[in-house]
Amino acid sequence: MSDVAAHRLDPEAAEPSARAALRGPDGPGRDMIGPAVKYIVLSLAAFVSVFPFFWMLVGTTNSSYDIVRGKAWFGDQLLVNLGNLIEQVDLPRVLFNSFYIAIISTVATLLVSSLAGYAFEIFRHKWRERIFAALLLMLSIPFAALMVPLFVMMASAGLINTYSAIILPTIANIFIIFYFRQATKAFPHELRDAAKIDGLKEWQIFLRVYMPVMRSTYAAATIIVFTLTWNNYLWPLIVLQTNDMKTMVLTISSLNSAYTPDFGVIMVATVITTLPTLIIFFLLQRLFVQGMLGSVK
Amino acid sequence: MSAGVRLEGLRKSYGAVEVIRGVDLDIEPQEFVVFVGPSGCGKSTLLRMIAGLEEITGGDLYIGERRMNDTDASRRGIAMVFQSYALYPHMTVRENMGFALKYAGVKKPEIKAQVDEAARILGLDQLMDRRPKDLSGGQRQRVAIGRAIVRHPEVFLFDEPLSNLDAELRVQMRIEIARLHSELKSTIVYVTHDQVEAMTLADKIVVLRDGRIEQVGTPLDLYDDPDNLFVAGFIGSPKMNFLPAELSGGALTLVEHGGQTVPLPPLGRAPQEGERVTLGIRPEHFRKEGSAALEVDVEIVENLGGETYVYARQAGSDVLTIATGGARGLRQGDRMTARFDPSDALLFNREGLRIR
Ligand SMILES: Nc1ncnc2c1ncn2[C@@H]1O[C@H](COP(=O)(O)OP(=O)(O)OP(=O)(O)O)[C@@H](O)[C@H]1O
Ligand SMILES: [Mg+2]
Repeated sequence: MSDVAAHRLDPEAAEPSARAALRGPDGPGRDMIGPAVKYIVLSLAAFVSVFPFFWMLVGTTNSSYDIVRGKAWFGDQLLVNLGNLIEQVDLPRVLFNSFYIAIISTVATLLVSSLAGYAFEIFRHKWRERIFAALLLMLSIPFAALMVPLFVMMASAGLINTYSAIILPTIANIFIIFYFRQATKAFPHELRDAAKIDGLKEWQIFLRVYMPVMRSTYAAATIIVFTLTWNNYLWPLIVLQTNDMKTMVLTISSLNSAYTPDFGVIMVATVITTLPTLIIFFLLQRLFVQGMLGSVK
Repeated sequence: MSAGVRLEGLRKSYGAVEVIRGVDLDIEPQEFVVFVGPSGCGKSTLLRMIAGLEEITGGDLYIGERRMNDTDASRRGIAMVFQSYALYPHMTVRENMGFALKYAGVKKPEIKAQVDEAARILGLDQLMDRRPKDLSGGQRQRVAIGRAIVRHPEVFLFDEPLSNLDAELRVQMRIEIARLHSELKSTIVYVTHDQVEAMTLADKIVVLRDGRIEQVGTPLDLYDDPDNLFVAGFIGSPKMNFLPAELSGGALTLVEHGGQTVPLPPLGRAPQEGERVTLGIRPEHFRKEGSAALEVDVEIVENLGGETYVYARQAGSDVLTIATGGARGLRQGDRMTARFDPSDALLFNREGLRIR
């Protein structure tokens, strides 16, 4: 984080004499003030964004009483809190629910939405831009407005309290379609031509050429979709009705709404919930840099 | 091993826009045919129609003796080399070259033999396990050609294959392509806008303009004996000079050159008195001697060492390009006499057609 900040400051730091000249004869001391103020502001911002994570980690090791009291350093209650959590919640079951939903959702969303984005960019049709504009327009409809009709749909399909109720509505993700269409603009058309001459069918071109070539786009989209579905709260809250179907995020919220919430337990559950998205992020991050180097030019 | 290609009244439209407007062409087996023409004239489109990458709107396409209009690109017996190479970035050189065979269901040892053979021909042996991104431009181009060779096509199609390379590599690859052609004895259709590539590689040059063929012929045919102003101006570098003229008293009066007169080139049928024509003289046809002479003022001198190009004009006229060979003494502002032999000059009528 501070690395980024330093880079941003660089271009200005590189020409202090020009800046001093512009400022006139105020004296050399003023040169230091600008950067100093910026560093202070940035440090504050860094503190504000990192502190909650620190607080969360500290909280896992303290009793609820100490947390409420505002104790800001590590204690020795980690195993106690973890034990309490396992006692109150069927952790393996809840984790399984979360992973099952997030993984199936992510795979299905990437497949369907990338295929749509690819098709929107590659194939010409006189209605193409209009249909695409209509799709984008749908992005502006808030989920709250869709919730009730969606619930009615799911209910009449008999899908309430099933995984499908969560997974199905996520699959056609307009943002991901848009993202893939944009990314496909950089996909060389001549690769498609070469593949056709090499004897590949349309679907083989997609699977054997497009997907491997676009893997950095897939990596980025995986992070986005996985995080979205993993952290999805409102819709699962509505359609998942029994405890054995609940996800991690729902569990945290029910721990929260207990008569006397145990904040130590909540912090442990929160850390467990945060870990998978972090791991996915660091695993896939490497793929970003491997672009389409060498395919053309 | 190599097939001819025949285009009969080939047409292509994108919606209401007609891009290829009736092309008839015969390409013999083993012939090296080069398509040239200004940007946007439809060279790539025509090549892609032969390849099966672009649907044919009208007319017939034959490769060998079979009509191929609706045949899948992979079943036409062609291979194509693209300007951008279009190598699969996620595969090694070996995988790139063997990909088509794998899809055609060829057995592994057979693929390996074919790929190794192509690699040997192109000197790629050392690079087989690299990815395209770890290759230089010239090496990538070689792999792209290798990928084509491996398929043993009856017809090779090249779309400006060398235009992403620097000048030196371009010369090297040009020679290599010529060598490949004589070695593989296959039919080649080659698109370029590089004069030298067209002149040196082609058995037959096809000059296209606006989706139509302007003229077909051997490089020297087109150079010596163009059918019209367009071909005369397009073939040859630097460009042929065009001087507006009028026929009067059995000689040509150069309208823009202060009414100087030059003798008429030898013609089968002389134009009528007073007819407006265009006189075409190539820069390299100006010589020290010659019965026709033009007085011009030197504007720019380009010394290339072996050759010197002088750009000169007379008040009110277009710039003339004159190749003066070794003459290096000229300076801007000098007055010079540009001489030529009228029998080297070409005459075109008002419609731009050649008067022979
Ligand atoms: N998909 C398309 N839709 C509409 N018009 C097209 C399409 N593809 C090509 N054209 C048009 O067809 C004409 C011929 O294009 P083509 O690419 O064959 O030209 P070219 O001779 O290869 O030019 P260049 O030397 O620049 O490569 C151009 O005017 C181009 O605008
Ligand atoms: Mg082209």
